[in-house]
Amino acid sequence: MADKSSSLVQTTGHVWDGDLQEFNNPLPVWWTYTFYATMVFAVVYWLIYPSWPVGKSFLPGMSHVTYKNSAGQDESWHWNTRSKLLKEMQDADVAQKPYFDKLAALPYDKIAKDPDLNSFMLSAGKSLFSDNCAACHQAGGQGKIGFFPNLTDDDWIYGGSYDKINETITDGRHGYMPPFGEALEAAQIDDLANYVATLSGLKADAAKASRGKEMFHGQTGACYYCHGDNAKGRQDIGSANLTDKVWLWADVPGAANDAGKVTAIAKVIASGVNKGVMPTWKGRLSPQQIKLLTVYVHELGGGK
Amino acid sequence: MSATTLAAAEQYDYEIIKKFSVMAIVWAVVGMAVGLYIASELAWPFLNFDSPYFSFGRFRPVHTGAVIFGFGGSALFATSYYVVQRTCQARLFAPGLVSFTFWGWQAVIVLAAISYVLGYSQGREYAEMEWPIDILIELVWVSYMAIYIGTLMKRKQPHIYVANWFYLAFILATALLHTFNNLAVPVNLFSMKSYSLFSGVQDAMVQWWYGHNAVGFFLTAAFLGMMYYFVPKHAGRPVYSYRLSIVHFWALSFMYMWVGTHHLHWTALPDWASTLGATFSIMLLLPSWGGMINGIMTLSGAWDKLRTDPIMRFMIVALSFYGMSTFEGPLMALKDVNALSHYTDWTVGHVHSGALGWVAMISFGSMYHMIPRLWKTEMYSVKLINIHFWLATIGVLLYITAMWISGISQGLMWRAFDDYGNLQYSFVESVAAMHPFYVMRAIGGMFFLSGMLTMAYNVFQTIRQGVRAAEVESVRAATATA
Repeated sequence: MADKSSSLVQTTGHVWDGDLQEFNNPLPVWWTYTFYATMVFAVVYWLIYPSWPVGKSFLPGMSHVTYKNSAGQDESWHWNTRSKLLKEMQDADVAQKPYFDKLAALPYDKIAKDPDLNSFMLSAGKSLFSDNCAACHQAGGQGKIGFFPNLTDDDWIYGGSYDKINETITDGRHGYMPPFGEALEAAQIDDLANYVATLSGLKADAAKASRGKEMFHGQTGACYYCHGDNAKGRQDIGSANLTDKVWLWADVPGAANDAGKVTAIAKVIASGVNKGVMPTWKGRLSPQQIKLLTVYVHELGGGK
Repeated sequence: MSATTLAAAEQYDYEIIKKFSVMAIVWAVVGMAVGLYIASELAWPFLNFDSPYFSFGRFRPVHTGAVIFGFGGSALFATSYYVVQRTCQARLFAPGLVSFTFWGWQAVIVLAAISYVLGYSQGREYAEMEWPIDILIELVWVSYMAIYIGTLMKRKQPHIYVANWFYLAFILATALLHTFNNLAVPVNLFSMKSYSLFSGVQDAMVQWWYGHNAVGFFLTAAFLGMMYYFVPKHAGRPVYSYRLSIVHFWALSFMYMWVGTHHLHWTALPDWASTLGATFSIMLLLPSWGGMINGIMTLSGAWDKLRTDPIMRFMIVALSFYGMSTFEGPLMALKDVNALSHYTDWTVGHVHSGALGWVAMISFGSMYHMIPRLWKTEMYSVKLINIHFWLATIGVLLYITAMWISGISQGLMWRAFDDYGNLQYSFVESVAAMHPFYVMRAIGGMFFLSGMLTMAYNVFQTIRQGVRAAEVESVRAATATA
């Protein structure tokens, strides 16, 4: 095509800027026909989908979407994105329904033992957990010290039974410990921190710890009131077990040395805790989804 | 026909073209560097240093503003002033206004960048500038239009060369788009904040009418104008088909105006409006290819030059990427393809195959042709042009390949259901899957930026060489007359 043009085709006869010229080649035939073909394609597309506006309405197109309305009857509309969405969600619901029905009927401890239902629980639980829980409790549920509890160990602040986990997800939680920095002297807090360190076998100053022990169990600190005489905490109010070497608020594992560990504990005693807030998921997730997540979290490793 | 009697430098206003050319290169370096930085932020998020001033959201419009309006805009001002003067054999109309378009346009780019970093944005893609900057743009643009039309009217040629139609369509359409998309009410006279005159889905539709025609007229028609002058000029061959240029010019101008709604598939936009956007996008394919065919067929017969002339290579690769992007675009505009591609990196890859492959490459080729002629010298190093060519080509290929893979993976992951009717992947899993491709994209950007720095150095040396030669010449002239 090129050679033909240079030898046979005339230019338009105009010259610009010394040497700029234009050949008068005809439109390439394949170009013209492909252009027409795209127009035919467009017309077909207009016939399938809603297209040109006419008066106060528009050409609806011949394609249809059928889905079930709230009364359970088939409803058919011209192609539209809203119906497409309803249809797609319903298809997913239909696939999920037998499993959710079975899940709702079975007691918690039977769910993971049913191989088919267990696979369903793991598949649905992964997405539910990732999209709803992982932002705080992290991708694998390992939590973050100083912020969000670890869900994979067997240490539970509010209880690790199925019912308690379900209650936590459904209604949320709000953990609170008053700041003692205003009521006690720094030296007293230091004494208390040394005593708390000994509870889980950390090295501490013996003299300070013995003064701290007195405060802990007496009226000056009154720590026993929430954490209990045995310092093992109370799950009904969410007070921490101080004897189990598992830390959430005080960054003991992150401290470089023994003194640092005691300081980390003292910091929490002085400033208290008022950020242990877990939101409620009631209304955001269905009861079946919460039941499924309960089993999923229970299975993460530490359920009781 | 009428031969050039006066030396071009005296007959035409070259000073303004020199200024715009230099700024085109400055903004290219700045804009691409910011682009590389934000690409790296996506791969290594610590780079935002937990500071709002370094965040992706504020830097992204700095990047797009600097490359589209700073680099692309300055390159278009430079080449259009060059082309209109040479093809009309007339000096630019209204020298005062000409100077204003330079300083006004540079002020727009700088003010916009500062305002974005400080957090001011209209939240309209490619039109993030707040209202005071919009008014300045309007003034610059009306001046540009007056200069262009004024110069065309002064022409000493009976016919208007095809490149000028494209430049004029770009100037006219941009004026229209900019005006209507930025109709907004400021909170008060001393506030940067304003509210759009439109609301809801109508606002979205106006924005994408603007957004896609910014691509259509600013980044396509205008650069086709550039192509229509520099490709035949550099190849020393006539344009392949005058008829094709007329037909595809009008078809392109007519079709582009309709396609903006393809950015709003699967949203609150009425389905019929999205259908029209899809179909006009399909019908736009061949009008777009008209430009590619005309360019490539003009070069055919000069193929041997490809072996020796890296400027020709820039031009032919630019035209190839133009053809590829304008095929990919209509495809992505179909409802069902868009259901996969929308909101994914595929879109980002598509934009960059057009922006880097077509817009930047044709500008590099044109500027390598034009700059030595402005300073009456030769390019300092042809070898460096060749190195730039390879760095840029490898960069684009890495970039778009990374975005194809990551974009299509995203689209597939987001909509995958398993046999139980559950979503197969969580969102965060798709983010984690993107990481290697974000790194690959940043590496592609690094190649492209390195090429750009090579060009900046080469052009700097070329200008220095040209200026020195001119000084020697003037001294010789002075001693000769003395």
